[in-house]
Amino acid sequence: MSRKEQKLGSVSRRTLLWAGAGLAGGAVLPSALTMPTFAVGISDKPQIGTWPAGSEGDTVSVGAAVPRTGTYAVQGEDELKGWQLAVEHINNGDPLLKKIAPKVSKGLLGKKINLLAADSAAKPNQAVQDIQTFINQNKIVLMTGSTSSAVAVALNKFAQREKILYVTGISGSNDTTGKDCVRYGFRQNFYGETAANAIGPVLVKQFGKNRKAAFMTPDYTYGHTVTKSMNDYLTKNAGWTMVTNQISPLGTQDFSQYLTNIANSGAEFLVNVNWGRDAVLSIQQAKQFGILPKMTLVVPYQIPFLAKETGPELTAGVYAATDFWWTLEDKYPLAKMFVEAFDKKYGYKPEWGANNAYMSFAIWARMVSEAGSFYPPDVIKQYEKGENFDSTVGEVYFRKEDHQLVRPVILVKGKAPKDMKNKEDYWEILEVVPGAPLMQKPDAFGCNLGDYT
Amino acid sequence: MINWANFISQCFNGLVLGALLALVSSGLTIIYGTLGVLNLAHGAMFMLGGYAGWLTYSYTESFIAAVIAGAIFVMIVGVLVERVIIRHFYHRPHEDQLLVTFGLGIVFVETVRFFFGSLSKTVPPPSSLVGITPLGFMFYPTYRLALLGIVSVALLVLYVVLYRTRIGMIVRAGIEDAVMVDSLGIDVYKVFMLVFGIGAMAAGFAGIVNAPVVSIAPDVGEAILVQTFVVVVIGGVGSFPGAILGGLIAGEIISITSMFNPGYSYVMLFVAMTLVLVLRPYGLLGTAGRE
Amino acid sequence: MLRQRPFVVEVLTAAGLIAVPFVLPYLGFSPTTINRILVWGVFGIGFDILFGFTGLLSFGQSAFFGTGGMVAAYLLTIVNFPYVMAALVIGMIAAGIVGWLVGLIALRRTGIYFAMITVAIAEVFFFVEFNPLSAYTGGENGLPGVPPPALYLGVTTIHFDSDTLLYAFLAFWYFVGMMVALRIVRSPIGAVLRAIRDNPIRAAAVGHNIHGYKLTAFVIAAAYAGFAGGLLGVMQGFMPPDAFMFDTSGQLVMQTAIGGAGTLFGPLVGATVWLYLSDFLQTTLHLGAAWKLVLGLVFVLLVCFLRRGLIGGMEDLYALLTGSRKKAGPVDDAPMAGATAEDEQRAATVDVARRPAIADMPARHRKADREIGPILQAKGLTKHYGGLAANSDIDFAVNHGELRGIIGPNGAGKTTFFKMLTCEVPPTSGQILFEGRNITGMTVTDVCQLGLTKSYQINQLFNRLTVRENLTIAALAELRGKFKLDLFKSLRGIADLDERVAHALELVNLVERADTSVSDLAYGEKRRLEVGLALATSPSLLLLDEPLAGMSPRERIETVQLLKSIARGRTMIIIDHDMDSLFELVEHVTVLQEGRVLAEGTPDQIKGNSKVHEAYLGGVHGVLAAE
Repeated sequence: MSRKEQKLGSVSRRTLLWAGAGLAGGAVLPSALTMPTFAVGISDKPQIGTWPAGSEGDTVSVGAAVPRTGTYAVQGEDELKGWQLAVEHINNGDPLLKKIAPKVSKGLLGKKINLLAADSAAKPNQAVQDIQTFINQNKIVLMTGSTSSAVAVALNKFAQREKILYVTGISGSNDTTGKDCVRYGFRQNFYGETAANAIGPVLVKQFGKNRKAAFMTPDYTYGHTVTKSMNDYLTKNAGWTMVTNQISPLGTQDFSQYLTNIANSGAEFLVNVNWGRDAVLSIQQAKQFGILPKMTLVVPYQIPFLAKETGPELTAGVYAATDFWWTLEDKYPLAKMFVEAFDKKYGYKPEWGANNAYMSFAIWARMVSEAGSFYPPDVIKQYEKGENFDSTVGEVYFRKEDHQLVRPVILVKGKAPKDMKNKEDYWEILEVVPGAPLMQKPDAFGCNLGDYT
Repeated sequence: MINWANFISQCFNGLVLGALLALVSSGLTIIYGTLGVLNLAHGAMFMLGGYAGWLTYSYTESFIAAVIAGAIFVMIVGVLVERVIIRHFYHRPHEDQLLVTFGLGIVFVETVRFFFGSLSKTVPPPSSLVGITPLGFMFYPTYRLALLGIVSVALLVLYVVLYRTRIGMIVRAGIEDAVMVDSLGIDVYKVFMLVFGIGAMAAGFAGIVNAPVVSIAPDVGEAILVQTFVVVVIGGVGSFPGAILGGLIAGEIISITSMFNPGYSYVMLFVAMTLVLVLRPYGLLGTAGRE
Repeated sequence: MLRQRPFVVEVLTAAGLIAVPFVLPYLGFSPTTINRILVWGVFGIGFDILFGFTGLLSFGQSAFFGTGGMVAAYLLTIVNFPYVMAALVIGMIAAGIVGWLVGLIALRRTGIYFAMITVAIAEVFFFVEFNPLSAYTGGENGLPGVPPPALYLGVTTIHFDSDTLLYAFLAFWYFVGMMVALRIVRSPIGAVLRAIRDNPIRAAAVGHNIHGYKLTAFVIAAAYAGFAGGLLGVMQGFMPPDAFMFDTSGQLVMQTAIGGAGTLFGPLVGATVWLYLSDFLQTTLHLGAAWKLVLGLVFVLLVCFLRRGLIGGMEDLYALLTGSRKKAGPVDDAPMAGATAEDEQRAATVDVARRPAIADMPARHRKADREIGPILQAKGLTKHYGGLAANSDIDFAVNHGELRGIIGPNGAGKTTFFKMLTCEVPPTSGQILFEGRNITGMTVTDVCQLGLTKSYQINQLFNRLTVRENLTIAALAELRGKFKLDLFKSLRGIADLDERVAHALELVNLVERADTSVSDLAYGEKRRLEVGLALATSPSLLLLDEPLAGMSPRERIETVQLLKSIARGRTMIIIDHDMDSLFELVEHVTVLQEGRVLAEGTPDQIKGNSKVHEAYLGGVHGVLAAE
């Protein structure tokens, strides 16, 4: 049989061999099958997740799936810096860190932290894939990352399955500590319900009852839950009406058709729930259409770098609820230390994504050091003790029923350019609203934490 | 109960959207019609025009300089791409051409991200065009009105070049039958280079004039790429009037659907495209044999 | 290509899959990455059949990947269906059905229009999954909590929940998927798909229902995609919405291109490279956001320099290193030095006479055949192209066993006439009766199956296949009918196929060149193959459109002899300009001019016909007579 006849299209025996050669390396004796092994540690607890293997050496790894390309790339890079700073502080036993986690000194339980980061492009599957690789290659003991709540929910479930602790990055959806909560997941930042309940009263106080509002909602869970929370508060407590709700797909570039509808709706307020670049574009274009400043803009869930990207002319007079703003340094000593350290290292004042990232790691360091072990159920129980501790926004504690940090919401109003004292002074802090009264009852959103093991 | 004021506003809005799409699509359609190459880097060229313009603006503070720079820069990029890469792909299967332009698109976007970061950049409109114009049924951003005018002029120029000049005639002949043009002794490769350059320039020009409307970021070309393909297919591949008609139809579909259900507006575009293809196999104004 | 030593590929695949977990981890592949590669591999097998083998570039595979995955995940999570394997299969079937429905729409068009419809499908599916159907699909959150597969063995149950066991599970299914695919590509359907990729027009013209086969390939690709989607869900315990994104389709296309399309293993190799590089660039080289730039550059370079992907590149490298590729060039057809045309022809005649007689290859008797009356009749056949009348009101009849010639000056409408007879082109008005049966308005495929086919004026061959493979395609249509779903049958299992092909090879004198690729043939050989293709469908009426076009004097003699030998047992109509050869061959001649029948008669009658002279020479006869 001729060579040609042996061919299968372009597949011949040779092809197969070369394909195999491409995949294989040298011949090595088999040994590295990743069968779970039973380690007999100091305690006689059975192996769980990456414990004890992940914390046996003198380094422990933590993995972050963060968007570095795509719609949320800007916010993702900011978050990453927060994590990097936190890791640096933990490894050096920085005084700021010690205020939050007193038992940390030059490493966590004597081990250095190694931060691994991969690009999730805000896609849930990509994030899961990245973290899975970190689990396998590096036996991470902590995972983090989300800028989109879809990623947070996916990683929540993944954490519970893999039995590895997960602290969210930015996640605004009610569901993250609501119906999609898990035993292994913890959220530090504020979310739709607390944002709405914080900003609602201020709007009502400022503007009165029975007003008309147009909403712009990005078409995914975060968008719908925040819009719902805002609308519920305003309609139930002050008789406001939602005259239109313009739902746009994530990644919309040109909002003209939505803005046209809004311009014709007779609204007095524009409540923009869009996030990331969508927010920047929709606000810029709303200005082009004359909707702003004719209507008052409300951003219930503020976006890092919003003012920088749109320019302060657009954010002047805008009401927003946020997680952190650097001028809190005047109020909270820890905030001052954080802002200084960040500014020194990176050359700009941190946005709330970075603060959230830093705080989530600092809190984790505290919990691990207080529990005295990396054993996940022990650390979880330490979180659930609900002890008060100090943070960049004052005293906070975790709610054990849903693993949500009980912390204040910062209400801000955009400064006019002429009032800015330096080129980062975009927002004026109106009020620091205490968190506990803002939150829903623990079981109101269907949270059902899972098992410890 | 239709809000008529809103309806008219949306129709008008669709016109503006459609005009921009028409410009970008006409670039794509003449490239595909002449060279037979589906330029999947077209969206990236739109983006490059925006960035070249922005960079020029930050040094010169002149909008006109930015527009010229944006258009010329992308034309040069187009010519280089054709000369260095695409030329070697004419004899390769269609899929390879698709793949290489797809890859180039990614490379352009990521290069820009590497040098300029992901933060969006604004190019303000010229001061004479800032603000809003009352149009009776609505207030419309002045610059967008001007955009309609600018794009229409650009399309007109393109029309004049294609239909009233000798070189345009050669290009149109090349769209019909490149082999024949070659047999007539005309340097077909020069024509191809020119066509690619013109097509790219159309995208780049659109990119910079659109920058005051949608601030630029590395990903700005992605959405427009898919929409452009839909427009080209609806209008008929290789047909310049088809691109214009398709663009306007697409713009109207997007705007008017959003009146009823904003979430569905882009999907409706695809549904419309499929309908057109099922009913009129070669698009609205396309001709058979050009696939 | 179509046959090979059995089981070699299968054994090597199995060996490779077994070796992988012992080797790859040392190269820096994490177990989950390997598992993901396998999922992409399965996804890609179906896609390669669609793209690499059939030539249909679809950007819509994500729709089926997501559908299969979501259906399986939905069953396993929300409905709490207990059997994982069954759910995967149901997902695959669902994806196949959806693929069939989508294919009915998408395959109506070809080329860029087809590609665009697939893009549209992908986007629409993503939207629908994301929004209206989010209760079933979890919207942007996807469906979490997909259980790992389990195998009940009576005594014990194996839960495939560790990386190693998952690998075994995925590798097993990859192997099964590959085996199935190998059978498919080696089956007659596989051969037809390749023919469609090369020359869909000719594939249809030799009697294959190409639409049916394309749809088959499309459904196969959808089924593989759906199964792979299910595998993804059980592998990571989570069915993501990004499975539906256009990005996923794009990544599949790129991976297949990187690995090498048309190799079945290409997608696997491509996925390996892609996933490895993503990890490597980000984690080891700490490139941050620039990883995508590097990957993009690598991709562009690969596409530019490795035309058949990595597998093709490695094959070329191997050939280069072993110097084993001997390109068989075209046979030297140059004329003998110093010979005149007459000398050539005399030499050819001698050659031809010396050749042993070849048995006739009669037409297959078909049910519709009658022996009485004309085999073909055209009544009032007219074709207008806009304002131009290519053919006007042609009445034409040919009897069984007749050898008819058609001549006419350029522009007479001869080729258009043929195109109408074979139903390539519908007439504007008029009727065609073949064996007494009205075939007006039928398709070229059906007409070929009835026994009427044509050899083309400009070669329409399957250029990437060998001579033998070309003839096999034609013979397959005749032996199997226009569409048969024999996906798992081997080509060897087709009775009479070898014999038919061998006979055709002999008749057109291409036995020595049987295993040469068409691109390496000389022009004359290609023309002979062109005739051979038509012949291999065992037509009872064979139309030949300028079979002697472009031939040297020597070739003409040989071709005329060929035509004489194949004329036995069938009816033939031949168009040509070489009147000497034609008049020697045929019994009866029809002359067309300006779309109408000008004259009919025996060759001698036509030679003497003044109207014919005038048509060709433009009135010289009249001028001469006047002088």
